Amino acid sequence: MTTNDLVDETYAALSANKVRSGLTILGIVIGIASVIALTAIGQGAQNTISNSINSLGSNLLEVMPGAARTFGFGASGGRGSAKSLTPSDEIAIAGVSNVSLVSGEYAARYQIAVAGANTNTTVDGVNGSYATIRNITMAQGSFLNDVESQSLQKVAVIGSTVATDLWGPNATSTNLVGDKIRINNLLFTVIGLMSTKGGSGFGSQDNEVFIPLGTALQYFAGEGNQYLSTIDIQAASQQSMTQVQNDVTALLLSRHGISDPTKADFSILNQQDLVSAASSVTSTFTTLLAAVAGISLIVGGIGIMNMMLTNVTERMREIGLRKAIGATRADINTQFLAEAVALTFIGGTIGVALGWGASYLVTATGVVTAQVTSQSVLLAFGVSAAIGIVFGWYPARRAAALNPIDALRYE
Amino acid sequence: MIELSDITKTYGEGQEAYTALKGISFTIREGEFVSIMGPSGSGKSTLMHIIGCLDTPSSGTYVLEDRDVSTMTDDELAEVRKDKIGFVFQAFNLLPRTTVLRNVMLPLVYANVPEEERERRARAALVSAGLSEDHFSHLSNQLSGGQIQRVAIARALVNDPALILADEPTGNLDSKTSLVVLGTLQKLNRAHGRTIVLITHEPDIAEHADRLIRLRDGRVVADEKNPTPRDATQETKLYDGTDESVTNKLS
Ligand SMILES: Nc1ncnc2c1ncn2[C@@H]1O[C@H](COP(=O)(O)OP(=O)(O)O)[C@@H](O)[C@H]1O
Ligand SMILES: [Mg+2]
Repeated sequence: MTTNDLVDETYAALSANKVRSGLTILGIVIGIASVIALTAIGQGAQNTISNSINSLGSNLLEVMPGAARTFGFGASGGRGSAKSLTPSDEIAIAGVSNVSLVSGEYAARYQIAVAGANTNTTVDGVNGSYATIRNITMAQGSFLNDVESQSLQKVAVIGSTVATDLWGPNATSTNLVGDKIRINNLLFTVIGLMSTKGGSGFGSQDNEVFIPLGTALQYFAGEGNQYLSTIDIQAASQQSMTQVQNDVTALLLSRHGISDPTKADFSILNQQDLVSAASSVTSTFTTLLAAVAGISLIVGGIGIMNMMLTNVTERMREIGLRKAIGATRADINTQFLAEAVALTFIGGTIGVALGWGASYLVTATGVVTAQVTSQSVLLAFGVSAAIGIVFGWYPARRAAALNPIDALRYE
Repeated sequence: MIELSDITKTYGEGQEAYTALKGISFTIREGEFVSIMGPSGSGKSTLMHIIGCLDTPSSGTYVLEDRDVSTMTDDELAEVRKDKIGFVFQAFNLLPRTTVLRNVMLPLVYANVPEEERERRARAALVSAGLSEDHFSHLSNQLSGGQIQRVAIARALVNDPALILADEPTGNLDSKTSLVVLGTLQKLNRAHGRTIVLITHEPDIAEHADRLIRLRDGRVVADEKNPTPRDATQETKLYDGTDESVTNKLS
């Protein structure tokens, strides 16, 4: 029996009962399509989250006042509520080896007003290096610099959401540099508009106003309250992040006169930890989705087995006849296995196309950018062929083992 | 060519055991046209399954063309069937929804005959079996009973087997069509020297063979030459309201 004969026989057998073959294929189509679509969604979510973490900056460490908190759980004192980090801590941190950039932050919410409109948002006093640390790019004008901070200038860089809140939806397409805004009733000059970062998760800066740190401490923090709400650090490389974290911890403990590290009055959030925590969550999520899809694939496989068993019973006399005219066990076995694999392969192909389409639809809704990977396509094909073999194996064996006399006699 | 010695076949075990063949011995030489006859339940089909290598005897030996096939495994038997034996059954001879040509080529598919050669051989076999060319590409379910049996005979021939085994090949046919099928078998034997074993319970069918073996209760009760075999072709011509097309195809 040549491959060509096998293809002919398989085609003839499957087209003999088109409705039944079609329904069986449908089971596999649904299984494969859901594997493709759900892993694409999981993969997409994973990418979205890690992109948004990476958009925070690169090799970023954040020192925050207050006791260490557990990621995602536990009580939090809130950003800036504890008062333990000072501008001189910031200067000391700059001296730690492998620290490339440092910026203190003083953040608080204020009323921002222009003629005829106002909004309430976070005003963040930062250094010029903050733009590099946090990957800020400018749509108009330029970011703050350290001279403005030292000379306590009242200048501001605004996010796109702030701009549209103050000047209407088309504000970002008009020139805003040089416009005046009132922050807590003090007049500031806009020197730059940041590019929209998008996303609402991890620290979107679209709804923030940045002013020089010196200015913020002078006009908003007030006498005797010169504390920072965050210190952002950029490590020289990803490899040095742990060392920087350890050194900064040791430095601040000694500067704050604390000997027991568990009693630290600050905590350090390492971007790398955030990435790995988030990716472990999303990969669990992806695995879960794949498992659910896998179950539907198994159900599809059982459908194949069911159809093939019915086939063996219905075609008992045909099997007997084939054996009488010289078909060996192996011939019959191969033929039935080929039918099962053909069903799953056709189902797999349609399923991949359908899953791909579903992923496009999901992407079109904008919730998450679903990503179909070549691995998941290969996997889907591999799995569908394997399902054909696994679930077709038993019926094929039953067919092959039939005694030709019994098969011929079968009524 | 066929040597059966003391063949028995017992179905089931213990209390349930039923011995369908109780010591059968005979020899069939190449080129013979033998009829195995007997009432229903006498063991004809059981014997035919053993001669056709579809089953093995419980005891005794069966030598087919100098090879002992009585102790072969399933796959060895399949090889023997493929090369040596052509079957014509009473019913369900052809694959449904499959063309005549494809049906006749099927044994060649399993025998790994090259594709180019299959169709040529299938056509030749169909011509020998007396089926007219117009029917070659018909589906098996578009044929009449007589045509189906002739396609089955062609399929039995196509592999150039040592032996053609026909189990009640006329069982489902009216008497006129039966004669056409018998005529085809006779012609294959007389003109082409085919060895044919015809199994039937009807004496007037059996009398077309040159030798009659009678079975009763699993034993051979008579084995004799038929000095005056009936000639199916002549009978067809004599048949009331002779169908010209049928006789033409046979001559
Ligand atoms: N597979 C089987 N199991 C049990 N008994 C069987 C089987 N096949 C045939 N027999 C019995 O063997 C006897 C002979 O059957 P069979 O060879 O079919 O006779 P025939 O073809 O002459 O009518 C019958 O009594 C039948 O019931
Ligand atoms: Mg019988």
